[in-house]
Amino acid sequence: MTGVELHHGVATDVGLVREVNEDAFLVAPPVFVVADGMGGHDRGDVAAGIVVEEFGRLADQGYDPARGAAVIAETFVECQVRIAEYDASQRAQGATDFHAGTTAVVALLIEQSGKPKWLLANLGDSRVYRYNHGALEQVSVDHSLVQELVESGAITQSAAAVHPERHVITRALGGSGSTEADYFVLPLSAAERLVLCSDGVSGMIDDRRIEEILGSAGDPRDAADQMVAAAVAAGGRDNATAVVVDVVGLVAETPYDSERQRVSLETKLGALP
Amino acid sequence: MSDDSVWSYRPGDWLAIFGAATTLLLPASEKARAAQLWDLVDGGAGFDQTLDWVLAPGLSVLPAFVLIATDEGPTKVIVRGQGVRATLTTEAETVVLDGSTVTTWVERTLDRVTALSVEVGDGVDGPDHLIRGGLVRVARIDLPPYSPPVEEQPEPVLPPLDRPDADPVDADPVDDESEESGPEEAVEPPELLTEPMPLPISEPSPVWDDDAATVPPPPPPPPAPPLPPPYVPPVLPPGDLAGGDHDGMTQAGESSDEFAHPQPGIPGQPPAPSVTRPVAKLVISSGETVAVDRVVLIGRAPEARRFTATEQPRLVTVPSPLHEISSTHVEVRPGTGADHGSAVVTDMGSTNGTVLAQPGLGPEDLKPGIAVQLIPGAVINLGDGVTIQVTNP
Repeated sequence: MTGVELHHGVATDVGLVREVNEDAFLVAPPVFVVADGMGGHDRGDVAAGIVVEEFGRLADQGYDPARGAAVIAETFVECQVRIAEYDASQRAQGATDFHAGTTAVVALLIEQSGKPKWLLANLGDSRVYRYNHGALEQVSVDHSLVQELVESGAITQSAAAVHPERHVITRALGGSGSTEADYFVLPLSAAERLVLCSDGVSGMIDDRRIEEILGSAGDPRDAADQMVAAAVAAGGRDNATAVVVDVVGLVAETPYDSERQRVSLETKLGALP
Repeated sequence: MSDDSVWSYRPGDWLAIFGAATTLLLPASEKARAAQLWDLVDGGAGFDQTLDWVLAPGLSVLPAFVLIATDEGPTKVIVRGQGVRATLTTEAETVVLDGSTVTTWVERTLDRVTALSVEVGDGVDGPDHLIRGGLVRVARIDLPPYSPPVEEQPEPVLPPLDRPDADPVDADPVDDESEESGPEEAVEPPELLTEPMPLPISEPSPVWDDDAATVPPPPPPPPAPPLPPPYVPPVLPPGDLAGGDHDGMTQAGESSDEFAHPQPGIPGQPPAPSVTRPVAKLVISSGETVAVDRVVLIGRAPEARRFTATEQPRLVTVPSPLHEISSTHVEVRPGTGADHGSAVVTDMGSTNGTVLAQPGLGPEDLKPGIAVQLIPGAVINLGDGVTIQVTNP
């Protein structure tokens, strides 16, 4: 049995325009989350906070690494219920037509056929990238109007970046749209570095710039700092948050080391006592 | 009778669940079962379904109960137990069903019932309270609400939360008198019940808001998230495009249906795991055996892209020391449509291709992205000495 060593870095910034940071993040290995509370919605920071809380509980209590997507789907349902309750409580206090909303991207270690893998989930237009052998690739597919237009061939990717409705997302937690997330499974070897970020990063700096930063910053903490700093320097028109996770290695269990290294992945993930 | 019937009940120690389509009464001792069935009955379960669940643990362990169908169609009533009696009044007749007289139960179906009354207590006197739906402790229930022949309607009812005798949940865990009260029950004259009653259904009656006033019952089913009104995407002022971005413009928008991918399942509900029977079995030369009951992705380091929570693919890693096999090389999945019941294989755009040998046919190269139906006995060759044999499940 092998363990997985993860190094991570995280940075967030309110940006230069907004007054409130409605982004939220969770770094609780092996669970990582970025949630972008929606600016057009009231109190998106509360909705984003709920997502982080629920996944934080998942990280604390542990989960069955073999169940994968079902674990995330159940947590999303919890989030959706709590956001709806929050809406109801706000409406009860007189805020008519209140609804909070948030995006979410999640990275979680799971186990398949005895091997640890990344399970990624996406709901909205926050993104997951992977950086492997010097090349950046966007893994998640935005749930946005412009992405649908791009996929249908109506507009090009470059036109999408300046489309007036590029901020309109088609799926999110809270609100009336679909809450069905997309899921992805990657072997650890296929993502030596994983990036979760809000559109305050990916909307301000292009993929080439992100690739440069990830290539030059060895430490994931530096990489996260630099990505957010670059997004702010480019205008900082939205809250910017980046989580960078490096798979440092599959650590073989060795008899000379401490008891901690002998525990199985299941135990580390909390599925077993 | 309509599903929004307003009942009246007289506090007692039996447990009554007033649902949309059925009303169920259980003895005081059946608290756990009442809690169990609350969800079902309140959810609008029909007569047969409710009966199934009531009887699930067996008839012998349930000394008494009353089940009434109040939805569309004729009124159906089942009565079981000592001292349990239902009185049904139609224009033509009055029928009394007495649970004391039989060993199993009494069932009756009647059309056009104008009044229905069930007594399970030992004839305690009012007051009667109105109820539309909920779980309460009762001695007697009436549809339409009971009204004394001469006196006026009881005063507008106080919310039962303020009345200890009407609070069903934590009411005294006392007496099982109701069950031993059979004999005296039987002698009580039924005339009270069969009298023509003023039917308040057509006139406004002092019905209290059942949301506010009924019991806080066992935990209600988790609410489906309420759907707020659709968000209308903002229209940007013209000329603003040059100015570039807006801060915080991330908005929820409606998907343009034209391009939307259909999403399975019910929004807001946890997706049910999709379990299908395996249509084939893959015996891989590396030693692994995999059932094709879902999408199976095979390769040197396979990845799964953009799937939903209900259809998580199985990833199968095969050794490829020479790297002849691509990271995600082929997909095998249960076929749909014309291929239903068998497995289909698709080359995922592998670098070095895939060779398929079906029984009785020569080897063929798979075209990337084109699914081919698999016959048991087929062999898929990925290169690097890795072959996959297809067998019956």
